[in-house]
Amino acid sequence: MTKEVLNLVPKLLIPAVIVVVLLAFPSCTAGTPEVSSYTIADSTGDWGYPSPYAHYSRGPGYVRMSFIFETLVWKDTSGFVPQLAEEWEYIAEENAYIFELRNDVTWHDGTKFTADDVVFTFDYTQQHPYQWVDNSIVESAEAIDEYTIKLYLSKNYAPFFQDIAGVQPILPRHIWEGIEEPEKFAAPEAVIGTGPYLLADNSKEHGSYLYKAYEDYYLGTPIVDEIKFVRVSEEMIPAALQEGSIDAGDIPPEVVSEMEEAGLAVITAPVAWNAKLTINHHQDPLSSRQFRQALAYAIDREALVQITQRGHALAGSPGMIPPTSGWYNPDTPQYEYDPAQAIRLLEELGYELEDGYFTKDGEVLELELLATADFKEVGQFIKQQLEEAGIKIDFRTLEAKTVDTKVEAWDFDLAVYGHGGLYEPSFLKTVIIDEGFKSARYTSNETLNQLIEAQLTEMDADQRAELIFHIQEVYAQDLPALTLYYPKWYWAHDGTVNLFYTMDGIAIGIPIPLNRMAFVE
Amino acid sequence: MFSKRNLITYAIAFVFILLLNFLLPRMMPGDPLMAIYGDEALIAMTPELEAELVERFALDQPLWQQLGAYFVALFQGELGYSYYYNAPVLSVILGRLPWTLLLVGTSLLLSTMLGIVLGIESGWRRGSRTDRTLLAGLMSLNGFPDFFLGMLLLIAFGVVLGVFPLAGALTPYSGLSGLALLWDVLRHLFLPVAALTLAHLGSSYLLTRNTMITVLKEPYMLTAKAKGLSPRLLKYRHAGRNSMLPVVTQTGIWMGRVVTGTLFVELVFAYPGIGYLTYEALLARDYPIIQGVFLMVAISVLAANFLIDLSYPKLDPRVSYAY
Repeated sequence: MTKEVLNLVPKLLIPAVIVVVLLAFPSCTAGTPEVSSYTIADSTGDWGYPSPYAHYSRGPGYVRMSFIFETLVWKDTSGFVPQLAEEWEYIAEENAYIFELRNDVTWHDGTKFTADDVVFTFDYTQQHPYQWVDNSIVESAEAIDEYTIKLYLSKNYAPFFQDIAGVQPILPRHIWEGIEEPEKFAAPEAVIGTGPYLLADNSKEHGSYLYKAYEDYYLGTPIVDEIKFVRVSEEMIPAALQEGSIDAGDIPPEVVSEMEEAGLAVITAPVAWNAKLTINHHQDPLSSRQFRQALAYAIDREALVQITQRGHALAGSPGMIPPTSGWYNPDTPQYEYDPAQAIRLLEELGYELEDGYFTKDGEVLELELLATADFKEVGQFIKQQLEEAGIKIDFRTLEAKTVDTKVEAWDFDLAVYGHGGLYEPSFLKTVIIDEGFKSARYTSNETLNQLIEAQLTEMDADQRAELIFHIQEVYAQDLPALTLYYPKWYWAHDGTVNLFYTMDGIAIGIPIPLNRMAFVE
Repeated sequence: MFSKRNLITYAIAFVFILLLNFLLPRMMPGDPLMAIYGDEALIAMTPELEAELVERFALDQPLWQQLGAYFVALFQGELGYSYYYNAPVLSVILGRLPWTLLLVGTSLLLSTMLGIVLGIESGWRRGSRTDRTLLAGLMSLNGFPDFFLGMLLLIAFGVVLGVFPLAGALTPYSGLSGLALLWDVLRHLFLPVAALTLAHLGSSYLLTRNTMITVLKEPYMLTAKAKGLSPRLLKYRHAGRNSMLPVVTQTGIWMGRVVTGTLFVELVFAYPGIGYLTYEALLARDYPIIQGVFLMVAISVLAANFLIDLSYPKLDPRVSYAY
C-alpha cells in the first residue's frame, strides 16, 4: 500500500472499526432476575392477535391462541384427554353428548367458569361462526346444572371430537356477550381464557409474543414462567438453536444430523401431508382403471422419495391414508414398482410398443403432465419413469393459478398436487368426491361414495374403522389419483421442555409440536 | 420556479400510478380466499362461512365497483382493511415504516457520504495506486447484489463468529430500556446496514469519481489553482461540489425505492420493514396491503423526483435557466 492509502485509512476506517468493535460486544444486560423463559422461533412470526376470532387462519395462529383458550376435550400423544370437561357420554337416542365440566376452573380475571360459558359459546358461534368449526353440527347447547352441559347434534357426526369438541375454544360469557364484531375485538379482555398462559405482550411488526404463566391454573402452575415466540428466518433457525438464543424451532431436513450432533433433540411429526398424481379420469385413455393401474406400477415411489426428497419422506400408499396413521389398512393394494407389469397391462389394452413408445391405431401414446415449480423435480422423475415404461410425457411447469384452472376445467391429463389434513378421515370426502381442484372429484363408483358418506356418520369407532379400511381398498383399486409421498417435518429443541407431537395433530390436526400440555406438569 | 406544466405532469403520473396500482394486484394468479386459508390443513369451511368471507372482503363485486370504492376510500385517506392482518392497512404499514426508514436512511446516508468522499479523493489522485485500489475494490463490491453481501456478512459475523444477532430489529422481551435498548437496536441494525451500504457505495463512488475527473479539467479549476487556494478548498469546495449533481440524482432515485429496495436484505435478516411486509402480503395475496405498499412506493418516487427538482438549482444555479 502506498503512503496515500495509508493516510486515507485512518481517517475513514478507524471510526468504522471502533463502531464495529463496540457493537460486536453485547452490552451487559439490565439486571433482570433469573426467570425460566422459553423461546420458540418460526420464520413468519406474526400469526395475529391470539383471540379466537383474530388469530390468522393457519395452524400456528391456532396454536398461539390455544395457550390461552381451552376446549372441552384435548389431545396428547395417545389420543383424547379431558380438559374443561372431565367426563362425557354419548346418548345415541337423542344424538347428544353430555359433558361433566370441571368445577375448579377460573377465567384469568378470577371469574368462575361454568356451564353457562359453554352454552354461551355454542350460541354465540351460531351468529359468529368460529373460523375452524362448522357451526351447523351443534344444533343446541343446554346447561343441565352449573357444571353439566348437553350438546344436541343436528346429524350423526363421527369426527365430533376431532372437529368440534376438541377445537372450539370456550369463551367467557361475561366478556364476549354483546361483542358484535369479534374479528375486531382486540382489547386486553379479548385474551382472557382458562388456559395455562396469559398474553403479556405481542408485536405485529416484530412477530413476537410474550406469555406469562397463569399461576392459578387448575392443573398447577405451568413449568415455564414465560414463553416467547420470536421471528427468525428459516435459514437462521438452526444457527440460533446452536448458539442458544432460541430453545425450539422447525428445521429443514438437511440439518437434522447436524442438530443431533450438537446435542439438540430432533422430533418428527407423524406425516400429515401428501403429494399426489392427479389423474384426469374423465377422458380416454385415463378413464380406464387398468390404464391408471399401469401408471402406478410404472412409478417407483421409493426411488422418488430417495431422489427428489433426499429420503426425507415416506413413500405414498395408494389408499392415501399414510402407514403411520391409526386408520391405515395394511391390506391396501400397493402396486410395488414393476415396469414389466405396467407394460403387460398396457399391451392388454391394445397398445403396441414401437421404437420405445406405445402406439395405438398408429398414434403415439402421449400424455401431458402439469406441475408448479415446487414440484419440478417430482414431475421430471415421473416423466422419466413413465417414458421408460413406454408412455411419452409432455412435462410442463406452469404457475399455480394456471395449473389450478386447467385441472378444475379437466383440461389436463396428469398433474402433481399436494394437500394436508391427513389425520382425520373426514378429509376423504373433501379430496375424493367433493368439488375443487385439489379433489379427485371421483363419483362414478357408487360403493365408494356410500362408504365415504357412511364413515362420516358412523358413531361406533370400530365400525367406522372398518369402513375406512374398505375405502382404502376400493380407492387404491380405482386409483382416481395416486399418492406419491408424505414429506417429513422436523423440529429441534434443547430438551428443557419435553415437546411432543400430538396424536392426530393439535385440534383439527395441526402438525406442530407445541401442545400447551407440554408446559404443564 | 416550478412551472404549471410540471405540476400537471406530476398529477397525470399520479393518477396513472393509482390505476396501475389498482389493477396489477388483481391480475395476480390465485384465489385470495384459498391463499388466506392455506393448505396445511383442510379446514372445515362451510359454504355459509365462505360466503360471509367473500362478502366481508368484497371479493364478489365487479372490478369497476371495487375501483370506485378504492378511489372513494383513498380520497378519504383510507388505504383499506387487510383481511390477512385483520387490521387497517395504514396502521400495518405505519408500524413497519420506521424500521425501513431507519435501515434505508442510515445506509443511504453512509453510502452516499462515503461514496462522495472516496470519489473525490480517488478522482483527485487519478491514476495513483490509491485510485486504482479503490476503483478495483469498489467496482467488484458493486457487482454483488445486496442480499448476497447480507448473507455473507450474516454467515461470517452472525453464525460463525457469533458477534451479531441473527435476526430481527431488536431482542424481543429482553427487558432492556434506555441506552441498553438503543445498543440492542444498533447491533441488530449493523449487518443489514453494512450490506446495503457496501452494495450501493460503488455506484455513488464511481459517479463522483468520473465527474470529478471531468470537473478537474475545467478552466475555472485552473483559475482557482492560480489564485493559490489550498488543495483542500480546491478539492471539496470547487471540484467536489460540482461533482455532486449526478450523485444527488442517483440518491434521489434510490430514495424512491426506499420501500422495495430493501426487500431482499430485510428477508435475509428477518428485519420487520416494508420489504418484509411486501413479501408476506404477496404470499398471502393480501390485495389491500399490496396496494398500500405500492401506493407508498409511487408517492415516494414522485416525492423524491420533486425534491431533486427543487435541490438542483441550489447545487447548480444554471439549472434554473434551463426552463
